[in-house]
Amino acid sequence: MPDGSFSHPQQRQFNPYSDNGGTILAIAGADFTVIAGDTRQSEGYSIQTRYAPKVFRLTDRAVLAVNGFAADGNMFVKKVKQRLEWYRHAHAKDMPLRAIARLIQTMLYAQRFFPYYVYNILGGIEEDGSGAVYSFDPVGSYEREACRAAGAAQSLVQPFLDNQIYFKNQAAAPNQSHPAHLPLPDVLSIVIDSFTSATERHIEVGDGLEIYVVLAKGRSAQGLEGARGIQELSTKSDGDRVFVIRRELKKD
Amino acid sequence: MDHFPTNWGRPRNDAYDAYNTYPLHQRPSNAPTHDKFADAVQRTQQPIVTGTSVLAIMYKDGIMMAADNLASYGSLARFKSIQRLHAVGSNTVLGASGDMSDFQHIQSLLDALVTEEFTHQDANTLGPAEIHEYLARVMYARRSKMNPLWNALLVGGFKDGKRFLAYVDLLGVTYTAPSLATGYGAHIAIPLLRQAVDGRQDTLTEEEARKLLHDCMRVLFYRDARSLDKYQVATVTDAGVDISDTIKIDTTWDFAEGIRGYGAQTQ
Amino acid sequence: MFLTRSEYDRGVNTFSPEGRLFQVEYAIEAIKLGSTTVGVRTPEGVVLGVEKRVQSPLLESSSIEKIMEIDAHLGCAMSGLTADARTMVDHARVTAQNHAFTYDERIRIESATQAVCDLALRFGESVHDEEALMSRPFGVALLIAGVDEGGPQLFHTDPSGTFVRYDAKAIGSGSEAAQSELQDKWHSQMTLREAHLLTLRVLKQVMEEKLDQHNVQLAQVTPSKGFEILDEVKLKEIIDAM
Repeated sequence: MPDGSFSHPQQRQFNPYSDNGGTILAIAGADFTVIAGDTRQSEGYSIQTRYAPKVFRLTDRAVLAVNGFAADGNMFVKKVKQRLEWYRHAHAKDMPLRAIARLIQTMLYAQRFFPYYVYNILGGIEEDGSGAVYSFDPVGSYEREACRAAGAAQSLVQPFLDNQIYFKNQAAAPNQSHPAHLPLPDVLSIVIDSFTSATERHIEVGDGLEIYVVLAKGRSAQGLEGARGIQELSTKSDGDRVFVIRRELKKD
Repeated sequence: MDHFPTNWGRPRNDAYDAYNTYPLHQRPSNAPTHDKFADAVQRTQQPIVTGTSVLAIMYKDGIMMAADNLASYGSLARFKSIQRLHAVGSNTVLGASGDMSDFQHIQSLLDALVTEEFTHQDANTLGPAEIHEYLARVMYARRSKMNPLWNALLVGGFKDGKRFLAYVDLLGVTYTAPSLATGYGAHIAIPLLRQAVDGRQDTLTEEEARKLLHDCMRVLFYRDARSLDKYQVATVTDAGVDISDTIKIDTTWDFAEGIRGYGAQTQ
Repeated sequence: MFLTRSEYDRGVNTFSPEGRLFQVEYAIEAIKLGSTTVGVRTPEGVVLGVEKRVQSPLLESSSIEKIMEIDAHLGCAMSGLTADARTMVDHARVTAQNHAFTYDERIRIESATQAVCDLALRFGESVHDEEALMSRPFGVALLIAGVDEGGPQLFHTDPSGTFVRYDAKAIGSGSEAAQSELQDKWHSQMTLREAHLLTLRVLKQVMEEKLDQHNVQLAQVTPSKGFEILDEVKLKEIIDAM
């Protein structure tokens, strides 16, 4: 520096990152998407809190799950929400899902040399009414998928989803093919099973589960009506709709 | 004794962390590092004069927070009547562990903030949620400049009939829970606090809360070598902030006599 | 104390006591000296038409550029000081590309129009010691045509930075006669073909020269093919059908 203030290098490296555990996951259906995350926040072997949400409603058709370094995650969500509001003011509409996906890429890549240490999964309803999941790496590579798990128990959950959603290593019955999309009750069961299993086997997963369900405009809430602890978060009832289901997970 | 299993079996290196000032879970590696950028600009610091755990819980009437009166210089118990609880406005209390000079800097930031808010004369005052949000911004901004304020802070308060209790640290990591603790307390006091408080915040009396924190402070004094048997308790309730006088922890050490290798026995 | 009445037209950022900004009003006047430009919106798309004043038989008429593409789904026609329009179209193009890069979608027509108008208002703006970015208002008006999720749309912008949406709009020297003709003939269920013919008929009425494929230009924006400037062959075919 010109003022010479750094001419004597100081010692010791400060590590600006941490890993706060937890796991997130999203599955797209034909006309719905389910996005879920546990609510435990930990550091090392310590549970910092049993309730720190990792899944956030962005609009009536978009939900974002954020996993990794919690401080970066919260800041990132804050900035995405801010950009969505600016977009609404500038363009007089909610940002479409694929536009949010691209926005997230540009925001992540803008921090390419001091990345947000977060894995994002964006789920919701596309302009054409189909369910969609976009997954990201910390510097913005992204793709649209049918399902994705990320976080501490990714390596436990993703193989399960590969088998149950993509039917990997499953042979279809003779003269039959695997369905392209599963119905909502099946998806919800898979999500719940994924998290109870991850809770059993991974120390950083547990405490609480938040399952967001986004339904395409015009789709009935069939498959949700019986759900325990369900709450609607949509701002209007005649468009795409967002629900959240809250469940307990084991706390040990 | 190193309590962190991932450090077990590694060569000891006193050049790093000779005074055990790093949080247990993020001890630096003992292996020599060869960083190509080691000679480049670094703005990093280390904590010098440090405070240990802060504990806080929610209870029936508000929140209660405790911190001892010690500021250590490495392993030297340097200042023994330091106050680590700080009232911010009339609805919030801030408790700090970590670097005490950074804490004093934060105190002056907050005092300026409260004064600035007061000069608006609009009858609006900053509550604990606002103070915590502000601190989270400051802490995250400083870590993002690779020049952190080396603290773990608890913010507690009571405003408009609502309790507030939250944590923020040098990384900008935040969270809230009915019982919180920083540093060693996060390992030793939290299990006791959670058992007594979580789910019982609405019925726990002030008396019970005080006793609980007193017991935890005693356990910490027995187990944390950087702690002191003098501490203060703050409450924030409907009635505002109250920070107690120094409380002395009564301890007994007779049992030590009977411990082989500790007492007077030679064999 | 007060400046004399005529002196209020010297600065671009001084209101007259009646509350007028003369330089802006003069700029709007400048457009009335420009060639006539017409825009017609239909459910099938938007048509833009301009008169090219070929002042000399030696002038290469194809070098007169009064209709410009902004993005694949969006274009504009101009009247007035056309050189000023380059700055605006350039800004609109960058804005449209930036939007596509950031959001992976086409910019809305109104948003692009708003971006152009934001620029139009920046005359006389400067930070204390710096030179003003622009010293005077733009002397050009635009008809911005495009198709987005809201269907085919036509916007008019003027030097004051105001924009308004129209079903059909004429600007430039023959605009008064042209606008009343549009008001008579435009209807909401027009086909694109009818809009082509209407645009040319309106231009023909207000042009001094005889209209042919060299002294007019037509462009259209449709949902299927986006923005396109009609070539002379296509143009001649429409003129012949008129």
